[in-house]
Amino acid sequence: MQDKMRLKVLIAKPGLDGHDRGAKVVAQALKEAGMEVVYSGLHRTIDQIVNIAVQEDVDVIGLSIMTGAHIPITQRLFQKIKEKGIDNKMVFVGGVIPSRDIPKLKEIGVVGVFPGGTPLAETIHFLQSTVKKG
Amino acid sequence: MELVKKVLHGDEGSAARLISMIEEGLDEGYEAVSLLFPHTGKAHVIGVTGAPGAGKSTIVDKLAVSYGRQGEKVGIIAVDPTSAKGSGAFLGDRVRMRDAEKVKGIFIRSMAHRGFPGGVAKATLGAAYVLDGLGKEIILIESVGAGQTEIQISMICDSVITVLTPDYGDELQLLKAGLIEIGDIVVMNKMDKPGAAEAAEDIEFYLMNRKNQPWQTPVLTMEARKGKGVERLVEALGEHHKYTEGDVQGKSAKKEKTKQLVMALFKEEAWSAIMKSILGKTDFEVIMQKAQDGTIDPYRAVRMALRIALPGSGKMEENYAR
Repeated sequence: MQDKMRLKVLIAKPGLDGHDRGAKVVAQALKEAGMEVVYSGLHRTIDQIVNIAVQEDVDVIGLSIMTGAHIPITQRLFQKIKEKGIDNKMVFVGGVIPSRDIPKLKEIGVVGVFPGGTPLAETIHFLQSTVKKG
Repeated sequence: MELVKKVLHGDEGSAARLISMIEEGLDEGYEAVSLLFPHTGKAHVIGVTGAPGAGKSTIVDKLAVSYGRQGEKVGIIAVDPTSAKGSGAFLGDRVRMRDAEKVKGIFIRSMAHRGFPGGVAKATLGAAYVLDGLGKEIILIESVGAGQTEIQISMICDSVITVLTPDYGDELQLLKAGLIEIGDIVVMNKMDKPGAAEAAEDIEFYLMNRKNQPWQTPVLTMEARKGKGVERLVEALGEHHKYTEGDVQGKSAKKEKTKQLVMALFKEEAWSAIMKSILGKTDFEVIMQKAQDGTIDPYRAVRMALRIALPGSGKMEENYAR
């Protein structure tokens, strides 16, 4: 019998910042909303994140970035997922993101930006209504 | 099937996709498994079970590194529990497998157990076939770690390691523990903790009653975080693999495992099919209503429901049907 389709989400912490309370809170909230959440742990390179996304076959990649380097990191990620042929996966970004950078991130290809302080329900609703399986 | 061909040629993305299809219970996923199956059986599938916090992830991490050094191709399937309240899961085993991730050509997959009893997911076996087909020679399966009822992991693995710590509980716990029964190798981890040597001795003593069995379950001591005892564990796994492959009794044990496995999977599928056939049926709702009102007892309700689900069963209930 066919099981119900479930969203699988990667929550990844790229680069040098060592704060993952926010990422874990989001991960926990997504779990409680019925999603399967893979957490990467701290200090991940883009190569590692993309590798995890491939092996785990997640539907969506969430980056938590607090270092201010969200633009170059996101650019590198999109470059890499194209190379690996998984640019069908959606990408969202959270963390410390100034609102003036949001248009630029969207231009790079990010589908949703959720800076610190975004109600968890908003992130959940966005993922459930936007992300497609497979 | 194209996907199966790609997996056999070592394409990681296809393997990952196929595992998801098996997890979703898609027919194409099971068809792919059937095509893949003749190409499997080469890998040594090793299960690691034990209570939460016993050190399973760390041991899997160290084993992967050790096998990687020997030039073996390694795959890992890490199973975490699905939330009891919903369908979600937090899959965090990768965080403790950072050394394993550096092993060349390693494939790591996290998996939520989705309520399947026995410490693994229904799709775990299928995922092991996929990794085998992908060319992995060592496949490490980390179980949920729920404790005493992890039977299924032994059905899908060639060798099972039970990980204990000095605070596993008193001897009574041991005597009723299914966990030790399913271990082909028992590891006493965290040997730096007080009382560790005594705890290891207790387990040796407990296992002595099984002296006349063809495979002697060794009790190994480890401090996994520091990498102490890993080599000996790898050695013991090699010995056990040789036993299951070569020994007549090892082979018959394998047959028994397969039988149990088919029964367990059958139970799961049959259960789903039966539920599907009765949920929402008026007859069933009437029975449930009666049970809820207290006009019939729960045993009788179940027997009546069974008659609806499986016509021809429960002949005795015909007396009730008046």
